[in-house]
Amino acid sequence: MSQLTYASIDQTILNTLGPPKKYYWAIVAVLFLGVLIGGACWVYQIFVGIGVGGQNNPVAWGTYLINFVFWVGIAHSGTLISAILHLFRAGWRNPIARAAETMTVFAVCIAGLFPFIHLGRVWQVYYMLPIPNHRLLWPNFLSPLMFDVIAISTYLTVSTLFWYTGLLPDLAAVRDRSQGTRKKIFKFLSMGWTGAHDQWRHYTRGYLFFAALATPLVISVHSVVSWDFALGITPGWHTTIFAPYFVAGAIHSGLAMVLTLMIPLRKIFRYEKIITSDVLENVAKTIVFTGLIVGFAYATEFFIAWYSQNIVEMESFRWRAMGDYQLEFFIMVVCNTILPLFFLFKNIRRTIPLLFGISLFVNLGMWYERFVIIIGGVAHGFSPHAWGLYRPTGVEYGILIGSFCLFFFLFLLFTKHLPSVSMTEMKETLEHGGSHAG
Amino acid sequence: MQGKKYIMGIFKDEDQVVSTLAALKETAYKFQRVHSPIPSHKIMAALGLKKSKVGYFTLVGGILGLISGFALAIFCSTRWNLIVSGKPIISLIPFFIVGFEFTILFAVFGNVIGLLTQARLPSFKEVEYYDPRCSGEHFGVLAACEPMQQDGLKDFFQQNGGEVKVFE
Repeated sequence: MSQLTYASIDQTILNTLGPPKKYYWAIVAVLFLGVLIGGACWVYQIFVGIGVGGQNNPVAWGTYLINFVFWVGIAHSGTLISAILHLFRAGWRNPIARAAETMTVFAVCIAGLFPFIHLGRVWQVYYMLPIPNHRLLWPNFLSPLMFDVIAISTYLTVSTLFWYTGLLPDLAAVRDRSQGTRKKIFKFLSMGWTGAHDQWRHYTRGYLFFAALATPLVISVHSVVSWDFALGITPGWHTTIFAPYFVAGAIHSGLAMVLTLMIPLRKIFRYEKIITSDVLENVAKTIVFTGLIVGFAYATEFFIAWYSQNIVEMESFRWRAMGDYQLEFFIMVVCNTILPLFFLFKNIRRTIPLLFGISLFVNLGMWYERFVIIIGGVAHGFSPHAWGLYRPTGVEYGILIGSFCLFFFLFLLFTKHLPSVSMTEMKETLEHGGSHAG
Repeated sequence: MQGKKYIMGIFKDEDQVVSTLAALKETAYKFQRVHSPIPSHKIMAALGLKKSKVGYFTLVGGILGLISGFALAIFCSTRWNLIVSGKPIISLIPFFIVGFEFTILFAVFGNVIGLLTQARLPSFKEVEYYDPRCSGEHFGVLAACEPMQQDGLKDFFQQNGGEVKVFE
């Protein structure tokens, strides 16, 4: 960090907003094609019916719910980095905070699509809103699915406002260094920000409250998501450990996605002096921590199933490890708890290709964790006569691919049109080592 | 204020700004504001600013949110007085989740309203007496003086290590 100056920070970050090369647009076009494939699969499902997916009786919750939980989880590390680490005054989060917050906003948007996709008759989605309707029915707030509607929409609103507030001083910096149409656009977006002392006085205070409010929110959101399962009596779901287990898992997957995004971003935009190896190493250390919590949760579930001596619960967990989905279980355990332990070795933490590779495996493992929990729960319930299996169909894979393409498509557009690293917070790191201290 | 001259001292160093602000207090020149690329504790302390009132907006938003969340859940529940799974029509524990989420949501709305109203944003008119470098690597101290004191104020900023920008 010592070689950085205010001017070099501005220069490095503003250079990323220059006209993109052809290969950028080529990648954007490929991703957009993926989005169209996903969109086409959804349209096909709307016309033909939800039966084109692999959902069946008893597995009524398939990949759409897996994707929903996965993307909400990805979102969580963005808030951990921007809000929780801000409150802890962890200066190392500054170079990656903006990109992580952006990741949060996009991931929540994509997660929010999946209940719509899962709904089948998507035009009836307004039944979930507490508005007067012709059936004179109102949502039942005893249902955890209604908690989810409230929690996810609150999370999307709060994280978007938090992201935009953090962006304001940087939008003004871009405005002051632009000409023509771009200047006009950024003048509008920056809302007249000038960095006057009175603006900063209110801004730092407001930012602190944002962080203080986002912190309990992020914990509540994935707890609420976990209660979608835990409040049901399905074996494998009905446990009190679910809320902390899901929150830790969410942050685990989100941090892995941060590495997956930051490592190429750092290379392409030559951010090596800003997103240093130390920053990536700190993310890797945090992944070890969350991986241990997740591993502990896996072990606790098995222990409690044995300790309860409840035959249904014991069978559920025996089948989880040794049944039809043992491969998925194996992927989950290895990718989420064993591979992250390699980050205990300093030379692995500081080897970029290994960091990147393990982060991809953690992403994969966390997707399979949701598969094991969601599918494994309903496929092997109380009654052996009602046991069943589930495999996703091509339509579901198409929508899954579409969701990933949409995420990377939005992120790629963001990196070339808005500052992907917070210039203000980087400058603060030089002065104070912290950020927006209010 | 008509007839006054507005002059900005532009500095590269936060500490120079702090010492200039201290020195400015001892003069007859009228301090206007400081523009900076970062929120600076040292500058805030040198100006002796009071705490922002944004928190009151946040608090009011939070209280309204808590009441609204519970009210919404109770209202919806009492529209259809059917006991489900033996749970009371008004079940405070599950409704607390709705109340909690609304508390956060409305507190954030209050926070944003507080921030916008207190910092007087958005403002789309051209800012008077502003230097674009102040969003980059410079700090600008704006002061006003009588036309006859103009040279003195320029000298003052230069002596404190700043570059001078005179606004016409």
